[in-house]
Amino acid sequence: MAEEGVGALLRGKLPDAVLTVEPFDGTLGRVTFAPSHALEVFRAVRDDLGFAHLSFVGGIDWVAEREVVYLLWSDERKAYLLLSTRLDAKDAHVESATPLWPSANWHEREAWEMVDITFDHHPDLRHLLMPDGYAFHPLLRSFKLHEPEELEVKTRRV
Amino acid sequence: MWINMGPQHPMTHGLWNLRVKIDGEIVRDIDPEMGYLHRGIEKISEDRHYNEIITLMDRTCYVAGIAWEHLYIQAAEKALHVVPPERTLYLRVLVEEMQRLASHIMWYAAFVQDLGLMSPFLYGMRDRDLLLDHFQSFTGGRLTYEYMRVGGVRNDLPPGTTDRIRKTMDWLMDRFAEYDRLCLGSQIFRTRCDDLGVLKAKDCVTYGVTGPMLRAAGVKRDLRKDRPYAAYDRLEFDIALADTADVTARYLVRMEEMRQSVRIIRQVVDWLDHHPGPVMAANVPRWLGAPYAPIGHEGYLLKRHYSKGVGLSAIEEPHGEATAYVVNEGGEHPYRVKFRSPVFVNLSAAKSYLVGYHVADIPPIMGSVDVCVGEVDR
Repeated sequence: MAEEGVGALLRGKLPDAVLTVEPFDGTLGRVTFAPSHALEVFRAVRDDLGFAHLSFVGGIDWVAEREVVYLLWSDERKAYLLLSTRLDAKDAHVESATPLWPSANWHEREAWEMVDITFDHHPDLRHLLMPDGYAFHPLLRSFKLHEPEELEVKTRRV
Repeated sequence: MWINMGPQHPMTHGLWNLRVKIDGEIVRDIDPEMGYLHRGIEKISEDRHYNEIITLMDRTCYVAGIAWEHLYIQAAEKALHVVPPERTLYLRVLVEEMQRLASHIMWYAAFVQDLGLMSPFLYGMRDRDLLLDHFQSFTGGRLTYEYMRVGGVRNDLPPGTTDRIRKTMDWLMDRFAEYDRLCLGSQIFRTRCDDLGVLKAKDCVTYGVTGPMLRAAGVKRDLRKDRPYAAYDRLEFDIALADTADVTARYLVRMEEMRQSVRIIRQVVDWLDHHPGPVMAANVPRWLGAPYAPIGHEGYLLKRHYSKGVGLSAIEEPHGEATAYVVNEGGEHPYRVKFRSPVFVNLSAAKSYLVGYHVADIPPIMGSVDVCVGEVDR
């Protein structure tokens, strides 16, 4: 399979959904898609292209936008495919991949609590690593870690 | 009725809570509660220089620290456009396979002890110590190694190490036969493991289960073979497989994997003996404090702003498929680091292999998953 073969195949199938196809080191390519067409893309990738294994779903905060990255593996092609979609930070939501790949379940819960991305129709969107009711999203850029406090050591003069 | 198994329970091997809904002795539903060991490693990484994150990687999975270093370092090197020298690739395979042995032996010791067999635990810990001695001789650490560097590894092997490793491998091969006699020949072991926790191949793929659990169901997927990294494409080994998909099958797969690891290590030490060379790429610092070095010092280079890049790496960690995604936006620190822990996903599928079995079956089944909470919670 050529480097951008899978991406081109996907673009041919869903011309409205696929925005860009570019080579990405170590994978068959990186396909960016419009979040409104997420479900069609997932179906095409899983059922038509044979990427049965979803490795992870990860959220990235780009301040004005939030990116969701999906890494998929195909046993037939023995290769990865990277999917990516960009959401408006003010209303970051995308269709959940969990109904198609149950392995996305915990990854999406984590992305929801860490990067504040809502996954529509997720069966069980609640806190995973943080306690229930935790009001912050630690992996947002606006969540700053404290600087190490300087300890002032006063020695008494003899 | 819901009961808690954890966060303090001999079955958990780490801090997490398995909530179990029971009907008499039968498990009807489960709900794992994670987060007790969450340290925010992905967040802390955003405030660390590339080489400083190696320290965090050892704490990610505390029984397979060097495998996680390998995972991270490959992604970081891709993001920073650094190419390590060839000898480094073999050294990394060597330590990863030794770590796989140490991790599997640790699993064996803990798992069999859960079943009530005490002596295998002592034998396992004894044999794992031999591997830790080797690690100590060239990394200085027995659990947290800080051995890998962006662009290579910290140091080469001291003289005579390869011969000592060969001796240990011979010793271990004899011990594996002993392990099998202790377990597979034991009626207690077989009664508590056969036909338990069955997760068939189709369900494994659906739930994203990887590693020995997947191969125990007969699916031939191993990233060392399917998507070779480091020097694995130049080494001969077989993928360990079983087909019954139960706890015994996972035991058999791990045992066979250890034998294959020994096979790999023997090839690697032979190669290392005949191919001396540098272990660091030129102009890349090897010490952890390097980013703070003054201008002009060799250590200054990591402070230089590398051109942007995104690095993705995937390795077959002792527990399964681990991936790292490192985004370099040109600063001194990575913009975002994302890790995929194999146990995280294997555990999220727990409902599919626990429901329907007895409460007393939970310890052997969860033992066969080889839970390492450090890498689940990160």
